Amino acid sequence: MDRARWERIQTIFHDTVARPESEQQAYLETACAGDQGMMAEVLAMLKADSRGPSLLDRGLPEVAYRMVGASIDSASFREFGPYRLQRILGEGGMGVVWLAEREDAGNLVAVKFLPNAGLSPARRERFAREIKTLAKLKHPYIARLYDAGALADGTPWFVMEYVEGLRFTEYCRQVERPIEERLRLFRKVCEAVQYAHGQEIVHRDLKPSNILVESDGTPRLLDFGIAKELQSLDETADQTRPGLRFLSPDYAAPEWVRDGTMGVYTDVYSLGVILYEILAGRLPIKNTAGDRTGDATESTPERPSIAGKRSSSLSKAAWSELDVLCLKAMHEDPRERYQSVEGLSRDIDHYLNGEPLEARPDALRYRLGKFVARNRRTVVAASLTVAMVILLVVFFTLRLAKERNTALAEATRTRHIQRFMLTLFGAADREAAPSNDLRVVTLLDRGAHEAKVLNSDPETQAELYENLGQMYQRLGKFQQSNELLQLGLEKRQAALGAENPKVADSLIKMGLSRGEQTQFKDAERLIREGLDIATRHLPPDDLTVLRARSALGVVLAESGSYDKAIALLNPIVKRPPTGEEGTYILLDSLPPLAVAEQNTGHIDVAESLNRRALALDRQLFGNSHPAVGFELAELASAEATLGRVPEAEKMYRETVAIYTAWYGRDNPATAQYTNILARILAQEGKYVEAAPMLQEVLPILEQAFGKSHLYVALALDSMGTLELMRGDLAAAQGHAERAVAIDKALFGDSNHNTAVVKAHLAQIFIKKEQYDRAEPLLRETVKALTERSLPGNLSVGGAQALLGRVLLREKHYRESGEQLTAAYAILAKQPGTSYLKMLQQTREDLATVYEALHQPDKAAKFRTELVANQPRKVDAPIGN
Amino acid sequence: MPGPQKVRDKEADSRSEEKRALDDIFSLVYEELRRLASFVRKNEVSATLNSTALVHEAWLKLKDSPHLASTSVPHFKAIAAKAMRQVLVDEARRRNARKRGGAGEAIRVTLGDSVDEITSCDEELIALHEALDELKRLNPRQAEMVENRFFAGLNVAETAGLLGVSESAVERDWRAARAWLNSKIRPDME
Repeated sequence: MDRARWERIQTIFHDTVARPESEQQAYLETACAGDQGMMAEVLAMLKADSRGPSLLDRGLPEVAYRMVGASIDSASFREFGPYRLQRILGEGGMGVVWLAEREDAGNLVAVKFLPNAGLSPARRERFAREIKTLAKLKHPYIARLYDAGALADGTPWFVMEYVEGLRFTEYCRQVERPIEERLRLFRKVCEAVQYAHGQEIVHRDLKPSNILVESDGTPRLLDFGIAKELQSLDETADQTRPGLRFLSPDYAAPEWVRDGTMGVYTDVYSLGVILYEILAGRLPIKNTAGDRTGDATESTPERPSIAGKRSSSLSKAAWSELDVLCLKAMHEDPRERYQSVEGLSRDIDHYLNGEPLEARPDALRYRLGKFVARNRRTVVAASLTVAMVILLVVFFTLRLAKERNTALAEATRTRHIQRFMLTLFGAADREAAPSNDLRVVTLLDRGAHEAKVLNSDPETQAELYENLGQMYQRLGKFQQSNELLQLGLEKRQAALGAENPKVADSLIKMGLSRGEQTQFKDAERLIREGLDIATRHLPPDDLTVLRARSALGVVLAESGSYDKAIALLNPIVKRPPTGEEGTYILLDSLPPLAVAEQNTGHIDVAESLNRRALALDRQLFGNSHPAVGFELAELASAEATLGRVPEAEKMYRETVAIYTAWYGRDNPATAQYTNILARILAQEGKYVEAAPMLQEVLPILEQAFGKSHLYVALALDSMGTLELMRGDLAAAQGHAERAVAIDKALFGDSNHNTAVVKAHLAQIFIKKEQYDRAEPLLRETVKALTERSLPGNLSVGGAQALLGRVLLREKHYRESGEQLTAAYAILAKQPGTSYLKMLQQTREDLATVYEALHQPDKAAKFRTELVANQPRKVDAPIGN
Repeated sequence: MPGPQKVRDKEADSRSEEKRALDDIFSLVYEELRRLASFVRKNEVSATLNSTALVHEAWLKLKDSPHLASTSVPHFKAIAAKAMRQVLVDEARRRNARKRGGAGEAIRVTLGDSVDEITSCDEELIALHEALDELKRLNPRQAEMVENRFFAGLNVAETAGLLGVSESAVERDWRAARAWLNSKIRPDME
């Protein structure tokens, strides 16, 4: 057959199948025009076409199963030589391992086979290399080789010592072994690896499942399947890479994964990860975002002391040593790792003996370089607050760097502060940011202490105090903030005299801090004092004067003097000061002005101011900066409050995108915004999209904030609602009950949040027709909400509607009628159609109640309303 | 005869180039096949675990290797399909040879599958392999299409994208190729 003929055959085939069966034969004869061969070919195709599924249709999984599946759990034999196979112990990239009994001696051994060995010479070579490697290794902590050979069909095998034990990590978890015991055990593993290195063998696949611990506590190293002899390293670039590598990505050194370079440092890295796991109780979280482009070298894992539940038996200082030790072993850059397993072992010994570590880095330059290298990207921050503090530090650093150019005299001072800041935060940065506020506070405490003993010039000291004071302020630690700001002010006054404009700056900072503490009188007094000094000594358009006016505006807006605030802030916003500092003043002035305008009824003006702030953020920080994301989320929250849910959704989406790009998906702040976005989506009925978001977010939030944090409750509450909508009531109840428990513990039983979550749980019980369980919950909700809300509050109405329904179902008609009437009064006043469903349901319930109470007139009234307000497309009533 | 000789060398070169790429993903494909097989055994084959997912995973594992660096995903899938085909056909041939060679070596199957079924799978695969070679001569693009659909699990849209033809063209070509190949694989079956 040739191409042309095949084309012709296909044409005839298609033409034939397109015809009714009765015409096919006739057509075929005409088309083939006496060419019997062609006709036979087409006929065979037609027959095959109408036949049932063949090999081609069965698909690859089926074929794979038939071709290579047999060797998975059935050896082609059960015994060979003196060995009798018992069961499969495991199968990995490089063969199947069976447990076998040696019949003559009666002892157990492990036999490894290479099934389908004929397939690839490369696999056979590797198997042979493993045998060679094992033959070289004779060490008490390494499983020994006994015998090797091949079956009659060519399947290679070898027999080795059978190790009965637990995975290394499992063993460590058992009975909560103390850290020191774990370290001693780990130290033994290091010894075995070090021995192999001495035999010029790199294991390359060190992981907990390859390190078993026997009942007497002896660790045994297994599986040298992809081990490599060091001396053969140069020969052929490393043939094991990349296709034949079946390494475990969690434990594999990044440079090996990336470009195949390897050496003893490959094993040092894996040991570092294993150490991390036994310290933290889990694997370090890698930066997996962006997969291919994601540059792993930029990510630093969370410190093990923070990642894990820190055991209380160790001091903070001890943990800090372990953090350093572990993170040095698993450093992304092989040059920064321990140069040998011996080095790692030595530092573990140092730790166990209470000696200083060799790993302790003391070079500030190193920290500084690291800090600068990543202040634009991948700030691995563990909480929003920490992220904020770090941004703040970056901000200060940059600003201080600018100041340095302005005056040579200030240069020394600036550098001093910069150094101090970097030392303070460098540690946190290098070992990944702390995971909770407490850690930052500890850090700040340390800083504050050091600042006080730092015997430098008063101005440096003052600036340090104020920076630290502002950070405390951001963290809500006002007592420390007040103290430090006061110290800063006093230092300045002492050094410069009471009338110096820099003293005015100190006064403004203090005033803003007081404002945040709602001590508005103090705040106003301090700022006015500063403003007076500034006005006396500086021209009216000087930045310090403007800063003071802006600050005063902020405080007045916060304290509710909206008109005064507008009078102060409007000129600044209308004619904003120029320059970078000026822009920051503008940026500080916009939000309070927006608040003031909003509260005096100028909602449009407020929104445009908010948008301007957002645009400014974008301009200053770029579109992908978290500051922009934060601003967007603020706007979104306002939109959501105004009922403009689709707009809110869009903005939250952007926030999530920005945070994801900046901090990664695993970041708690990203997770929290995703959480809110999912809630909005759920509100819009987009359950399919919301559900997986919540699934992803919950563990991150639990990990970051603890299992009983408000954010976790929020996610659980949303999940409960989702499951209710999807009809999985058991799951819904589980989530909702957890949410209620958390909110109760956090806010108390009669809190607004708790009340709302309770109402959601009650809805689940209503759906389950467990009215006796829904009723008390709803009573509590209605009570709590009524006490804390203005009359006519929508939430109250919603809760009363639900309570009315429950009472109706329980046939308590009179009380049901009361609740429903109250609910009706609130719901009927709501503008728009968002609450129409709830309102209609209430009408129907009211009608039923009045029918039961034999008041047909009233019942008829609601029935009429019900029909009159029926939407064109009839929706199922809520909860049915 | 320098001319034709040179041509053949070039062909051999490109074939050895291809073979090198295949060698690289060979073992991986084999392991993935075994994984796939074990899922079938446990009745876990679902929409989420099909050969496309498998090929995609292989891609994730291999994409960073230097000589795949410039390879696009569809192209990689095509290579994977070739590797898949070769692994399976080699195994089928080996087993077939063994069956003919000595009775004592036959694999004993304990999974409730009859030896017949296994045998027929071997023979069908070899027949498919040979028929595909014949199809390649008649219409290379069509043969490539079958390879991608069957061995790499590409769907109609992906196949169309890879070959740069319309989806309806793929459907049409597939139907004819399927019928023709099936008529070659099991000619006498009812």
